[in-house]
Amino acid sequence: MLFDLELNNVGKVYDNGTPAVIDFNLSVRKGEFIAFLGPSGCGKTTTLRMIAGFEGISSGDMLIRGERMNDVPPQRRPTSMIFQNYALFPHMSVRRNVGYGLEVKGVPKGEREAKVDRILATLGLEDIAERKPEKLSGGQRQRIALARGLVVEPDILLLDEPLGALDANLRKAIQNELKLLQKSLGVTFIFVTHAQSEALALSDRIVVMNQGRVEQVSPPHQLYTRPNTPFVAQFIGRNTVLAGEVAGSEGEDVVVTTGIGTLSGRANGALAEKGRVNLVVPAEAIEVHAAGEGALSGAKNRVDARIERSEVVGHIAHLTARLQDGRVVALEAHVDKYRPGAFPAGTPVLLSWNPAEATVIPAH
Amino acid sequence: MNASGIKLGLGLYTTLFIVFLYGPLAVLAILSFQTGPEGGPQFPIIEWSTYWYKHLFGLTPPSRIAPLPIEQALVRSLALAVMTMIVSTVLGVTAAQAFRKRFRGSGVVFYLIVLGMMVPGVLVGLGMALVANTLGVDRHWWGTAFVLHVVYTFPFAFLVMLAIFNRFDPSVEEAAWSLGVTPARTFRKITFPLIFPGVLSAMLFAFTLSYDEFSRTLFASGRDLTLPLAIYGTFSVEVHPNVFAFGVLTTLFSFALLGTYAVLMGLSVRRAKRMAIQEEA
Repeated sequence: MLFDLELNNVGKVYDNGTPAVIDFNLSVRKGEFIAFLGPSGCGKTTTLRMIAGFEGISSGDMLIRGERMNDVPPQRRPTSMIFQNYALFPHMSVRRNVGYGLEVKGVPKGEREAKVDRILATLGLEDIAERKPEKLSGGQRQRIALARGLVVEPDILLLDEPLGALDANLRKAIQNELKLLQKSLGVTFIFVTHAQSEALALSDRIVVMNQGRVEQVSPPHQLYTRPNTPFVAQFIGRNTVLAGEVAGSEGEDVVVTTGIGTLSGRANGALAEKGRVNLVVPAEAIEVHAAGEGALSGAKNRVDARIERSEVVGHIAHLTARLQDGRVVALEAHVDKYRPGAFPAGTPVLLSWNPAEATVIPAH
Repeated sequence: MNASGIKLGLGLYTTLFIVFLYGPLAVLAILSFQTGPEGGPQFPIIEWSTYWYKHLFGLTPPSRIAPLPIEQALVRSLALAVMTMIVSTVLGVTAAQAFRKRFRGSGVVFYLIVLGMMVPGVLVGLGMALVANTLGVDRHWWGTAFVLHVVYTFPFAFLVMLAIFNRFDPSVEEAAWSLGVTPARTFRKITFPLIFPGVLSAMLFAFTLSYDEFSRTLFASGRDLTLPLAIYGTFSVEVHPNVFAFGVLTTLFSFALLGTYAVLMGLSVRRAKRMAIQEEA
């Protein structure tokens, strides 16, 4: 099968010797929406810039539709890039901005204008086509940048934090537009972001990066519910990570001895028979019960705790509980479940969770 | 010291500053309206007149005071300034473009370029004269002096462009490349229009610095004088208010140049500011 983009052991070392990207492997199918997610400095933007050709590749190979691209200059790669600050040409009208890529490719005027008109219409930009970009709003300029990048019909569209400069409401709206646009055009999108909500909402697969390495490549739901590494467990969602050792198994569940008792969860992939592991419990998987409730006497995964804080943000109740070993655990659920005032600070409680919702991963 | 005291002190300081800055100029301007040909370059003003301006253009009846021998010198100086402006600006823009990326030895090259504006002009001029003599090269305003003018003004153009590129957003160029535009065309069609205000500043610097450069030209220009040398030459005989009249005219010319520059700059700064506001919104 021919992939739109293949990165084989791609690495980047800066001139001063610092490695920015280490052994990056990824194969992207046509029409996929991929997000590179990670904290700043994790190498996600560097990888994107290597794909675009703005940064050289120090090791490994990069192929687009089977063709090796390592030494091809940016203007000859079938990619186009959308920048966080849009990077529109301030001295050209919106129409000229959008048409410029076709103009330099020598597309005849009639055909060019038709294509520009079509993409302007798709993105709702016809009314401002003759204006200069400087006078337009962030959302409009974002759409101009998209139109300019898409009109040249790239194999792959690269987006570097394209929503980062927009306010929250606009971001939500453009996020939806972006997704619809991508589906209808069938163009492969590679999207760099540090906002997990964006990555989770938009992408078919998410590449989580940390310190230049790929931590996990998974579809959003799997990434969220089944992290592979402690970093992903900490970075995605609100998880409690408990260190322990494998004690055995019960059916599908792995039993782990931790500092606060014997607990269990599902293994994600192969685990060593014995050894140090982490038990990852999502905040929304944890149930809170008043202490001493008889109904819980036979249940697994019982942990004593004391409520520290509870607050309601919109429709979500956030509770903070302190375990006996002093560790603080974050919990959250729909407000219907934990009415305001149901668990005031200081209330002793029992926490429990379904083993299927917790994940056991190897410790690093 | 209280706040009003500080205010008073600063006000006084500023006033003195302005007096010292513009006082000599004002005195020259006033004396240029002295009557002629009998009026001299000193107060009091015997009678207000525009005699010396007419004298400058040969519009007065012949008198014992010869017209200023500056006609050819003016042409030479303007030509030299334009040549210097073009070469220094081209060098400044291309050198600053090269300095956008670190390269081996860039530190040394930087200081070598900047040295050109730091070394004393008399020394460089004298040095050039000696070198020219040793090599048997004739000294001319369009040769040896021109080279020195470029060496002197190129660093100014270079530093201006360095500052401009420092604030230049390279993602605009990358956007162009990613649309399939070659680097050369990107520079012509995208980069250059955006750095043009800076290029204008560099041109202005190079032109004005060359136009009234004295010490380097003194030794390096050979037989034909440039304007500053020609004017200096007239002082050694006798000073008449026609020099002042000429000074007023050249100052007005400079102001016109600055005014044009300010208008062009203002337009582009306003555009940049609008961009910045949008960026924050």
